[in-house]
Amino acid sequence: MNEILPVRRGAWLRFLFPMMTLVLAVVLGGCEKAPSGPVYRIGYMNCNSEAETMHRFLPLTRYLEKELGVRFEAIPVDTQDFVERYEQGEFDFTHTNAILYVILKEEQNLELLATEKRGQYGSRTAGALVVRRDSDIQTLEDVRGKRLIFGPQLALQGYAAQYDLLLKAGIDPELDLAYYAIPHGSFKHEKVIYGAWFGAYDVAAAPVLDLEVMIAEGKIEADDFRVLAQSEVMPYCTFGAAPRVDPKLVDRFRQALLKLKPEDTVEMDGERIKVLNAALIDGFEQLLDSDYDINRDLLRRVNMPPYQEF
Amino acid sequence: MRWDWHDRLHLLGLVVVVAAMAWLLLAGAPGDSGARQASGIERAMERELAYQARAAFLQQIYGPVEELRRQGQAQQALLMLEQLNRNYAGEAHGYILKGLILHEQGVLEEAVASFVQGLRLNGDYVDQRSPLSERARIQNAVDEGLTTLGARARANPDNLSVAAALRNVYYLQSRLAGGCE
Repeated sequence: MNEILPVRRGAWLRFLFPMMTLVLAVVLGGCEKAPSGPVYRIGYMNCNSEAETMHRFLPLTRYLEKELGVRFEAIPVDTQDFVERYEQGEFDFTHTNAILYVILKEEQNLELLATEKRGQYGSRTAGALVVRRDSDIQTLEDVRGKRLIFGPQLALQGYAAQYDLLLKAGIDPELDLAYYAIPHGSFKHEKVIYGAWFGAYDVAAAPVLDLEVMIAEGKIEADDFRVLAQSEVMPYCTFGAAPRVDPKLVDRFRQALLKLKPEDTVEMDGERIKVLNAALIDGFEQLLDSDYDINRDLLRRVNMPPYQEF
Repeated sequence: MRWDWHDRLHLLGLVVVVAAMAWLLLAGAPGDSGARQASGIERAMERELAYQARAAFLQQIYGPVEELRRQGQAQQALLMLEQLNRNYAGEAHGYILKGLILHEQGVLEEAVASFVQGLRLNGDYVDQRSPLSERARIQNAVDEGLTTLGARARANPDNLSVAAALRNVYYLQSRLAGGCE
């Protein structure tokens, strides 16, 4: 009996050990691996507000971590502070409007990754000058001496495009309007549109995308406004990478954006979230830097950064 | 073999059912080829009526968009389409109209993508005989796409987005040639 017992005990262990190893492997395999290594920082330009920016882009950031196996930190950034903070080396990747992309490309050699697609013009949109349907203003010439509300100054399709439309029509916004204003705080583009809708201003400088979104959401009707003039369509919000980032990681980042589908999800706070849906984006497109030349020409015409001359 | 009362009951039921089916077949079918032809014409008329009703309905719903487009107010027309999408999202006619307007505005890639979405839902828009046909305009977009997007794809062979846009052009080309899904 004493001679047999140790043999039995060994056989039991030889069975238990591989079984436990198998169970552990299955359990660990079922878990999503937390990425390790250095933290890359993505600066997201605030579109409407800091809260909205994080709500939109945290799921996308988690998706990128999952796809690339590296750690990312999402940082909401005020539009006016973006260039300065980028210059200080705060961000490895950027998500900005098309003016900031051009500035950072020209001055810091930012690499173009992908452009977001949203609305009827895909990766592009236009700037429009609109008036209420019942307005007396019929042509751009009628805008002289009227009250106009622009979007934020660094908005290509909410400020620069409309400024350019006025200049082309022979109207100097600095001299020929009764006055113009720029709204404060968050959701500036909506404030611009409501500013004209409620009659506080005669003319609104609205990005076409914001008109589309507000109509789709039922906030306004298509025939509440008349479009007086509209710019060409130009590239919109853009992802970029700092030149110091490993080119292989940059390429994988781009591929991860381009392959994103509406059904792709991430787990966040116990919820499964659709990444594109949360980001309010239809997808991403790989534009060429030369596609932004139309933006550059416009910025030169209106004497804005990075081509501003005094 | 003997038949008990239970077997007989089943047999009787079977006979009744077969007789009833035979009667239905004889009474329900048209009596001669003339009646069959009349029934065929009726069905064709019903189809035609449904088609005309659909065309009239689309004209009524999308008429304001067409009108704005005719007046050259392309952006206003697109915004009106956006509003109609609240109630008729996924309607092929909306996609085709959007494609036409975008193409007139020179936004080729999005125009082609919109035509593709429309044609996947309804092939009538490339059918020459259909009153809804936009075959010629879609052909124009394809011709332009093959030239401009083809050149862009050759110059940027690694660009996935340009390749996807060109695939859309090829899809339209195949539908114009009579290819099916």
